[in-house]
Amino acid sequence: MAEKKKETNIPIYQKPWFTTAMPIIAFVFICVLFAILTQGRLFAGGNIKLLLSQSYMLLIASTGVFMVMSMGGLDFSQGSMLGVCSVVICFLSKYNIVLAVLGGVAAGGCIGFLNGWFNVKRKITSFIVTICMMYLFRGVVAYATTKSPVYGAADITKYNNIQFTLTYTVIILLVAFLIFQYTGLGSRLKAIGAGETAARYAGIRVDRTKILVYVAAGCITGLAAFINSVKVGSVTSTAGNQLETQIMIALVLGGMPVNGGAKVRFYNIILGVMTYKILTAGLVMLGISTQMQQLLLGIIFLVEVAIFSDRKTGMIVK
Amino acid sequence: MSGLKKFKQSQWYGVVILLLLVVLFWAVFKILAPQTFGDLNRMSTYLKSALIYAVGGCGLYFICVMGPFDFSIGANIVLSSVLAVTMSQHFGYVGLVVAPILSGTLVGLINGIVYIKLHISSLIVTSGLALIYEALSVFATNGKEAILSMDYRAFGDYPANLILALIAYLICAFILKYTKIGTYTYAIGSNEVVAKNMGVNVNKYKIVAFTLCGFFVGLQSILTISYGTSMTSASNMSSMSRNFTPLMGTFFGLAFKNYGHPVLAIVIGEFIIQLMFNGFVALGAPTTVQNIVTGIALLAIVTLTTKPVKGAVVK
Amino acid sequence: MSEVLLHAEGIDKNFGITHAIDHITLDFYKGEIHALIGENGSGKSTFTSCLTGIYQKDSGTFTLNGRQINAHNQVDGNYQGVAIVVQELGTLSGLTVAENIFLGKEDEFTKHGVKNSRAMNAKAQELLNSYGFDYIKATDPIDKYNFEDRKLIEIVKATHFKPQVLVVDETTTALGEKGRKELFRVMHSIRDDGRCVIFISHDLEEVLEQADNISVLRDGELIDTVASKDVTADDLKKLMVGREMNGKYYRTDYGESVPDEVVLKGENLSVPGEFEGLNIELHKGEILGIGGLSECGMHEVGKALFGASFDRKGTVTLEDGTQINDITTAISHSIAYASKDRDNESLVLNDTIEDNICLPSLEDLKKNHILHAKDMRSFATKYAEQMSTKMEGVTQFVSALSGGNKQKVVLARWIGKDSDIVILDSPTRGIDVKVKADIYQMMDDMRRSGKSILMISEEIAELMGMADRILIMKDGRVNGEFRRNPDIKDTDLIARMV
Repeated sequence: MAEKKKETNIPIYQKPWFTTAMPIIAFVFICVLFAILTQGRLFAGGNIKLLLSQSYMLLIASTGVFMVMSMGGLDFSQGSMLGVCSVVICFLSKYNIVLAVLGGVAAGGCIGFLNGWFNVKRKITSFIVTICMMYLFRGVVAYATTKSPVYGAADITKYNNIQFTLTYTVIILLVAFLIFQYTGLGSRLKAIGAGETAARYAGIRVDRTKILVYVAAGCITGLAAFINSVKVGSVTSTAGNQLETQIMIALVLGGMPVNGGAKVRFYNIILGVMTYKILTAGLVMLGISTQMQQLLLGIIFLVEVAIFSDRKTGMIVK
Repeated sequence: MSGLKKFKQSQWYGVVILLLLVVLFWAVFKILAPQTFGDLNRMSTYLKSALIYAVGGCGLYFICVMGPFDFSIGANIVLSSVLAVTMSQHFGYVGLVVAPILSGTLVGLINGIVYIKLHISSLIVTSGLALIYEALSVFATNGKEAILSMDYRAFGDYPANLILALIAYLICAFILKYTKIGTYTYAIGSNEVVAKNMGVNVNKYKIVAFTLCGFFVGLQSILTISYGTSMTSASNMSSMSRNFTPLMGTFFGLAFKNYGHPVLAIVIGEFIIQLMFNGFVALGAPTTVQNIVTGIALLAIVTLTTKPVKGAVVK
Repeated sequence: MSEVLLHAEGIDKNFGITHAIDHITLDFYKGEIHALIGENGSGKSTFTSCLTGIYQKDSGTFTLNGRQINAHNQVDGNYQGVAIVVQELGTLSGLTVAENIFLGKEDEFTKHGVKNSRAMNAKAQELLNSYGFDYIKATDPIDKYNFEDRKLIEIVKATHFKPQVLVVDETTTALGEKGRKELFRVMHSIRDDGRCVIFISHDLEEVLEQADNISVLRDGELIDTVASKDVTADDLKKLMVGREMNGKYYRTDYGESVPDEVVLKGENLSVPGEFEGLNIELHKGEILGIGGLSECGMHEVGKALFGASFDRKGTVTLEDGTQINDITTAISHSIAYASKDRDNESLVLNDTIEDNICLPSLEDLKKNHILHAKDMRSFATKYAEQMSTKMEGVTQFVSALSGGNKQKVVLARWIGKDSDIVILDSPTRGIDVKVKADIYQMMDDMRRSGKSILMISEEIAELMGMADRILIMKDGRVNGEFRRNPDIKDTDLIARMV
């Protein structure tokens, strides 16, 4: 009886089918809307290519944050991390390009480890830890680029062609997807996000998994930094600025619940990033002012967060 | 009870520790950079910035004691400051003072209401709202730099800035001690469920705390724009960086709330941060080092003041 | 007998599907100390919480001095004449003593929005002095005082305004000799004043000594009200426990021998604050029961053996010498654990039945290192159906299930894992009779197939009905051992618990 009543009390925007369909509908809607408004220009060959080339970095970096957010954590250090990794990659690219990528991955992994260590071992909220890290490493990037940008090897931009970057991105996403889906990692992360204590009692090594995921997220950002480096060829103090916000907005647009848990789906990444990119590109193409764009983004972000968040009655929200 | 033990329990214990820290940091940097650091003139400049940030720190204190956060105060400062400039052109000092207080308070109120209504982590809510406030700040300035006219810069220097800041600190201390709001803020922070059972309207007082925070941020905006004399609108969350210096003061306040007066701790804490910033700069480090110092200091304060509990779920 | 002061009529309260108190009708008289006793979960605290405004009752009325009262929160209750000293810590750190005493009543000292702290402190100090607690300073932060003093401050807070009814909920366990004396003094003065004290305690001797009348609750129902001069502690125990005589769904066999083979051994186990110096051996194919009062530390024993306790000392060893120090090792060595706290520790509530069943078995489900979604689906479906879980499908969220079906999901998980050693903490807590019977049947089947079960339970009938051996714990130590025998009496077990 009581459960029946509960069922009817759920507002429509919190019904499971709605939260699943909503981001997809939103994506299609935005595509169609801007296709009409821009009279198809948005999806002309050149623009598509441009759109894609702008999306690679975000796609890769979002994958790491996606895993962190699945377990209910947050990672706001991505932007600065990307900056640091780019510095390392550009510096090492003068010696060897493979070494450069490995260096970038290692740098990201180290920062990720710091995030995880403070979060897991010192029990400090991930938001606070990563935001401190963001600040700290933003300073490091700025320090490294004080006098002049850090330049990569002269020929580093030769990798900036669609064949390479697209393959590179697809491989990373595919590997991440396979690991997430076919090793049980996805189930474990979602369980941690939905109920950490119960996950521990079900035999998941919660602490170890958490630290590993933070490290992995760092490593993945190292990979994203490589795309950034080959695109620009050098690093300035603003490299990766506000990347964390973009990731966050993109994932939420893709239907990702901000507190993670069972409703997380891998396609949230791709759907979210593409929605975000088409949305911003479309707004730019329509000549809408940047402040208006941001205002709209902010509103859409809050609405989607409100829709996709899991709320338990009586839960204390800080 | 021995004298030392008695002293340890008194309100002055924390203050003395903080002052010792001030002396320590001053001495270290003075030895390392005797020429470029820490003479009386410079100290008064350091204090000037510390006073500004401490006002915002006081506001944030109300929220952080309860547990939530507000990451829109940077955007609030930007928005309130540009409004202050615009209004000062029409109404002089009245506009300069009233506009940011109103807009700051309003932003705080909106933060509180959205946080309570949506029932989502305040970090997320205020980050999202910050995007909107930033956009509004651009609308308010048309993207141009807002410059405060030469005629209205009194709050940028002694004694007016000191007076305004002192008024803000007194208001904060007064609310904490002599109103229900103060008691309830601590009560909710200590145990929300028990407080609710005692008839405290938790949601209402959370909104009140956010509104108060907005009010103090409004006051900080007056000082900020008067001291800096110009303000550029922010976008893409760049206002985020303005959150941290006030936040550090708040953390000092939280850490010392049982050993001293929180407001004093916030002010002295901000002064210590300024000593560190300027100390590194005096040593020849680029100003970008400030970010590194902020990050490490914040992390260190949090690490030292939280006790990791085994099995506790921390997201 | 004197006049009725407080009349409770048909008070009813549900927590979700748990019927916490079932239409209780009860009178409290002027000038009495009225004790409420009963096992854990019998509804004592829920009843008084409804009276004092901590919970809102579902139906029924409280009538105080002929006027109906309905408290929305504790302070509201105070103004209507009822007050409570709660079981756990009811004072808030970070506030001063005076602020705690007058929390929610600041308006009495507020003029034009300004709180007169000086008047409040003076009034608080005056009250403290009048109770004889002069050493407590009203202006001090409450954090300065220890647990006992904070309880005394709570007593001042709850009684200074002369409430008609004072509820003292399980307060004495937290107090030392001095605190108890002070509390009883206050209680007596309320009685002598023609008001009423509702006294909740587990200590039956204390209840008999202090109370005039005693009401016994069991499973949310009022069993009886007796005058304390007419009864003994043993009478009360019988009323409290009340053996379910229709034990037909328990095991019926007696005298089967248990193999000597020890599959799990705990040596010198201690968990600070829970239990100490525990040695335990679980044999192959037996059901070992652990019983005791809720706070005796027995629930932590299950966790300790499962490797889940923090700060555990001592060793847990399997037959083959493997040491169990963490949960993951425990599970991979065929140990299963179903917690008493089903919603937080056993199940990931906001997740699907499928994920919950598969979580410990993910590695086993892999084929050539690859985990296929359809294998998970069929695995989960198989075991959920084997347990006849009532569900819409395995993709349904666990949070939507009833208590009994939740427990079935937990058990399905461990049956699927095919664990040989199963630790069940309060396996039938909050579960209806039919599902209970299923669970007992399942336990018996497991035992017969050579698996070993450790059952921790607060239900005496269950222990006697199911276990081959019963250990009774008291205050963190084993205080008695019984072998399966139709002649054991529940009172023998209870005598070892209290």
